[in-house]
Amino acid sequence: MTGNLITPKTKELILIYLAGRKEGYAREIANYYKMSLSPVQNQLEHLENSGIIYGKHSGKTIIYRFNQRYPYYKELIKLLEKVLLFLPESEKVKLLVTRKTTKKKR
Amino acid sequence: MKKTGNMNIAELAAFICTHLNNSGIKCILTGGACISIYTDNKYESFDLDFIDCTYRSRKQIAEELGKIGFIENNRYFVNNETKYFIEFPAGPLSIGSEPVHITNELVFSTGKLFLLTPTDSVKDRLAAYYFWDDKQALEQSILLSQSQRIDLKEVERWSKAEGQINKYKQIKKFLLNKSK
Repeated sequence: MTGNLITPKTKELILIYLAGRKEGYAREIANYYKMSLSPVQNQLEHLENSGIIYGKHSGKTIIYRFNQRYPYYKELIKLLEKVLLFLPESEKVKLLVTRKTTKKKR
Repeated sequence: MKKTGNMNIAELAAFICTHLNNSGIKCILTGGACISIYTDNKYESFDLDFIDCTYRSRKQIAEELGKIGFIENNRYFVNNETKYFIEFPAGPLSIGSEPVHITNELVFSTGKLFLLTPTDSVKDRLAAYYFWDDKQALEQSILLSQSQRIDLKEVERWSKAEGQINKYKQIKKFLLNKSK
């Protein structure tokens, strides 16, 4: 999607996901792209170590967002917003319309 | 030369900085350790966050730190003789979206330490408060403003450039009243 500017592919997909949804956690992202959890976790860790995203604990889950302290934050967001424009309409709707799941009452 | 275990945070940071510098690795101390040093340990940090301005590989840094007894442990470098540990957050040296060009130098018996200026340290802590809602970082910036002369005009300019002028206005009085 970025013409191999951002590799590996998993990292690119994570960044696009976070650009669309503003936040996300490993399993949610893996489920969205129908990927294994482990490579998503690895790339999230890599992105966090690079200062591009940061994670905040919410119970046992780590919620990731873009790190506004990253010196190229504004430029990166601009690039990713342009990438979002190129997504097929169906993908765009799927990504940008966040589905909040509610627990069923037992 | 003092033993690593007997060095305080400033002496140890200077020792590490000088050792790396002698190996061609120019590092600048940032983060909470700067607050510890500038406030004479009113805020205690054990984490030495160095930004490597020469973009050396992790392997090269590990080799050099190994020579002074620090070994890699996940994202940190640790030494059994001291409670302090080293981390290398990703560069470049920046505060928010702005690069840092001017740093401070402090000389100790163990070597020369390059670190953020007091004003940039306040900005660095405020960045954590603005963007991560880190309240402890705000407390650190206030503590620092009590101990060192801070250029609040510069802090205000930077806050505005980062789109955080409203948050700055809310906390300005804490920095202003206590600033030297």
